[in-house]
Amino acid sequence: MIQRVTGTSVQRVEDPRILTGRGRYVDDVALPGMLHAAFVRSPHAHARLRSIDVAAARSYPGVHLVLTDSELREHAGDMTANGSAGLFVATYSALARDVVRMVGEPVAIVVAESRNVAEDAAALVRVEYELLAAVVDMDDAMDDASPVLYPEHGSNVIYRSEHRYGDTATAFAGAAHVVRERFLQHRQTNAPMECRGIVVDHSPGTQAMEIHTSHQSPHAVRFTLAMILRQPMHLLRVRCGDIGGSFGQKGGINREDVAVCASARLLGRPVKWIEDRAENLAVAGQAREERLDVEAAIDADGRVLAVRVRMVMDTGAYPQLGFPASGYTNVVRSLFPAAYRLEHYDFDAVAVATNKATYVPYRGPWEAETWVRERLFDVLARAAGIDPVEFRLRNLWADDELPRQSVTGVELIKFSQRETLLRAAAYVGYDTFRAEQASARSRGVHLGIGFCNFIEPAPFFPSLIKAIGFMAAPRTPQEAQLRVEPDGTLSLFTSQMPHGQGHETTLAQLVADEVGVERSSVRVVAGDTGVTPFNFVGTGGSRAATLASGATIGVARQVRDRILRLAADMWEIDPADLDLVDGNIIAKGVPSRKLSMAAVGVLAHTRPGLANSDGSLGIEEHHAYISGEATWSQSTHCCVVEVDVETGQVRIVRYVVVEDCGRMINPAIVDGQVRGGVAQGIAGVLFERAAYGPDGGFLSASFHDYLLPTANDIPHIEVIHRESDPDDDVPFRGVGEGGAIGAPAALTNAIEDALAPFGVTIRDQHLPPHRIVELCGAIVSEVGESRFHQGA
Amino acid sequence: MKAAPFALSRPESIEEAVACLTEHGDDARLLAGGQSLMPLLAMRRQSPRVLVDLRRLTNLTHIVTSDGHVEIGAMTTQRAVERNPGIAADVRLLALAVPQIAHVTVRNQGTIGGSIAHADPSAELPAVALATGATMIVVGPGGRRSIAASDFFVDAHATAMARDELLAGIHVPFDPPDSGWAFEEVSRRPGDVAIVGVAAMVRLDRERRIAEARIVLCSVAPTPVRATEAETVLVGNSPSAELFAECATAATVGIDPPRDLNGTSAYRRHITAVLVRRALTRAVDRAAR
Amino acid sequence: MSGSVTRVDVRLTVNGRDRAATVDVRRTLAELLREDLALTGTHIGCEHGVCGSCTVLVDGASARSCLTLAARVDGCAVVTIEGLADDASGGLSTLQQACIEQHSFQCGFCTPGILIVATELLADNPQPSEEEVREAISGNLCRCTGYDSIVAGILHAAERGS
Repeated sequence: MIQRVTGTSVQRVEDPRILTGRGRYVDDVALPGMLHAAFVRSPHAHARLRSIDVAAARSYPGVHLVLTDSELREHAGDMTANGSAGLFVATYSALARDVVRMVGEPVAIVVAESRNVAEDAAALVRVEYELLAAVVDMDDAMDDASPVLYPEHGSNVIYRSEHRYGDTATAFAGAAHVVRERFLQHRQTNAPMECRGIVVDHSPGTQAMEIHTSHQSPHAVRFTLAMILRQPMHLLRVRCGDIGGSFGQKGGINREDVAVCASARLLGRPVKWIEDRAENLAVAGQAREERLDVEAAIDADGRVLAVRVRMVMDTGAYPQLGFPASGYTNVVRSLFPAAYRLEHYDFDAVAVATNKATYVPYRGPWEAETWVRERLFDVLARAAGIDPVEFRLRNLWADDELPRQSVTGVELIKFSQRETLLRAAAYVGYDTFRAEQASARSRGVHLGIGFCNFIEPAPFFPSLIKAIGFMAAPRTPQEAQLRVEPDGTLSLFTSQMPHGQGHETTLAQLVADEVGVERSSVRVVAGDTGVTPFNFVGTGGSRAATLASGATIGVARQVRDRILRLAADMWEIDPADLDLVDGNIIAKGVPSRKLSMAAVGVLAHTRPGLANSDGSLGIEEHHAYISGEATWSQSTHCCVVEVDVETGQVRIVRYVVVEDCGRMINPAIVDGQVRGGVAQGIAGVLFERAAYGPDGGFLSASFHDYLLPTANDIPHIEVIHRESDPDDDVPFRGVGEGGAIGAPAALTNAIEDALAPFGVTIRDQHLPPHRIVELCGAIVSEVGESRFHQGA
Repeated sequence: MKAAPFALSRPESIEEAVACLTEHGDDARLLAGGQSLMPLLAMRRQSPRVLVDLRRLTNLTHIVTSDGHVEIGAMTTQRAVERNPGIAADVRLLALAVPQIAHVTVRNQGTIGGSIAHADPSAELPAVALATGATMIVVGPGGRRSIAASDFFVDAHATAMARDELLAGIHVPFDPPDSGWAFEEVSRRPGDVAIVGVAAMVRLDRERRIAEARIVLCSVAPTPVRATEAETVLVGNSPSAELFAECATAATVGIDPPRDLNGTSAYRRHITAVLVRRALTRAVDRAAR
Repeated sequence: MSGSVTRVDVRLTVNGRDRAATVDVRRTLAELLREDLALTGTHIGCEHGVCGSCTVLVDGASARSCLTLAARVDGCAVVTIEGLADDASGGLSTLQQACIEQHSFQCGFCTPGILIVATELLADNPQPSEEEVREAISGNLCRCTGYDSIVAGILHAAERGS
């Protein structure tokens, strides 16, 4: 294979339209006769629905339809999430029935001439609620005296698990130091810049339904909505155009989508629903709210002997129709040891339901394992009196101990973690940092440095799936289809659903190189279930780099073979004597023999028998690819901060990522993915919190309160690539999630290091200025430790 | 997130605007730059039946210097004030505080009058008005009147203006000679509302003792607060770190700051003291130059 | 006297062309552009004036179109992302080209607002420092990039002389 564009930062195919305002996002879809939907939503976290009076709304000028559950249930079934052994999964209706369990729960849909009118009419819907006490945090949920969200289940605990590896009791008994800590990670939300949205067009004539939406997995949308709506799938098509970000939020099936589809079908006119920001922050999905109690034992040399973890996860009121809640805790369990030596390990998990928004995947949904482990290691290092970098080096598996299986049964490779750690330390000048830090401290300036090592499965692989215990969707190969058009251009059909990751560019790079054509002659087609290969997962889980690449490379090779054979047959020479370069087939040694791809296209479509032995016309191939074991990416993050201990404000002085995602298709795109993830991780620590009040009221329903980072808040992030060469035909690994996984630990470790003179241990991931001042002891905390259900 | 229905009135003069307010009373809201009001309408936190658009009142967009003060028309944009060289020279506090309001795009449309009349407890301009001793020029059915800043801010989002009065402009006195000014603020992100803000002025006498001091606290109470007790600690004394610390402590007495997602009450009290110290240090440094 | 009205005629220029519409007084400029004039390049991300995706130029100054009543731009000149390309050659402007070269954007949703604000910055300050660039775009939220690549694009455009 001639390396031409793969590995270079070629300009993105997506950019000309994005830079000129010619993208096509779901709110840009405008269909003749289109109507607009708005929802009546519960203002209460937990209440019985006594009555709903829609008369005034229905008769409001410009309103075409108002539905509550009592009407909708005739036209749509209930929503049932994926389950797993031991997981309680509630089935629920699209519009609230009998009980509302979260602020913002949809109670009625209003469809009108405009969104303005729909909202005006929605304000006239009279709902009578009988308030119930709300369950607002995980301790409330586990308290027997608290109300139970699902009486049929009898408890708010929806999942429990216990795993034991090795013999922690003996290990603890022989320890030089034992550390016990409770680490709390707070609720956050994905907050893509584009909210959710859907346009549903149902033709009364043909009964066919076409859905335009902003979603990571169009085939999953089609499959699941078809079931719920009882819409035959041959009469259902889902199309996604440009998507304004998702980060995992647009991966489930939305209750609102069911109501909009049913409305469109009833009205025989297109119906559009575009979520507004208040809805998005309150209802679209939240993540990260996990608490891990850890106990760790180390020997006198700082070697970790054993760790016990008890994890509690707050899943909100309703399960997402997507990844099951139990999946997250089991991934955390399986990955926690990472690249470190750990042979005695207990892991208990509890998942609870509360009166809050649904827990959804958010960029690296298992990130808690990295945050807690890397936090814990700094605490352990301090307890043992060992430098945190040295502590990590002592505990990483040595090269001669790898490859092996981790204690949780996950296949490990020889990692470059030792090297990325040392490189990061060298790059920031660690050997002189401690002296600088001391000197700064003497001047009242508080600098701190933090490190974070992690490995991430990119994508998930067999031993990990086995360790987790199940998989929500079966581990399916990734498919790609490649077609030579009659004019010789190429169309690649992928089940990926890019939403900023640049697959239209990266996959075209691969096709161009493998086939031997110009990039501009390759078009990547995604998002249309009518033409793309089926897969429950579109884009997500860091699958694209390996899986989509593998499918693409495979199908491109098949098409190249077909093209060469066509020319070989026509010229009656051996295909081995042909080459395909820059879109032309040439016969080696015979320069006059040249066939353009344009000619190939015409020939393949007009000469029966030339392209296909059965006489059919055209060249089209498909290829299914599944990656192998231990497809890891890995990183070390290093963060240097300066903390103003008087005000609690944190300034990030430096942020360095040394990452290894194997070979890169497009380095600039890799950089972008890493930096974007780091920004989210930083923001979670310093700015973002999806806050609930003691009555379950949602407090962060606007961008005034849910604070996203700006260009003033995120420093220049230095990214260093270490391209290992996985011994693999598809040497690319995913990188989309790592930035968000590593940043919280690097930053909180740096903050704790800066505050060392105050004897601070950081146990909360959310560190707004007042919290830092509290930790320094200058003021008293006004809320209890680790209780995040109050105002501050 | 769409506003509830309203009718739009577009007066061509202040008198017409006042007549609108008189006619519609509580059903009307004035639309100046829209940067504060429009979000409230979108969230349906306010649903006025009539919006009175002041955009056509072009005689309210002036910045005029006369007689030791600058007159700023209420509809002057914050950006125009920010970029005015005369104000930068003569009213240092405005030059320091206005760039901290939100972002350029907001300041392009947001008005001086709109922000002052909105009287948000965590906004910078009300504190600036109080610290500079500005006078608000208010017009109503009874004509024109002046209200001193110290009387103007009555409560959170409430001013001394009657329902049918509107703010036409502010008169801001020039800085006293040999004075130094500072505006220190802690916010979650640059441009955000102040968690606490402190405006300070210090004037030194020939012996370099503090002859006059003004300290105004922003975001610790429903209105900006003049920390008079703290000021008396300073007057007549030589600047020193110990003096500033004593003054800072005095500034935190008698305030009961709110608690919200951005900070607890104890935190606000704590950084009030920190910011008073920092503001005084800066102000003295600038006065001494 | 201006009695209260519920519908208004709006006459304005958008990207140099005369446009007109009769709209409900509630109509925002963002809605006017996107729905009445089919210029969907300007995006709506929050409708309360924080995210900046809706930013356009009104008489040369950046404005949040979600906070601007359509009625208020009667007689104004509005520039949107669709109007930023190089008029003369019909190609991309220096700023657009520089951002493409620097891989400034990912999902593209924040892009319209940022390009408008960058255009305003470079017109006022053709050689900004990195700090000035960050300050200028600090009123625009981007969720994908972490801002490095956007800053690089704008600085690159400044270097080339936009």
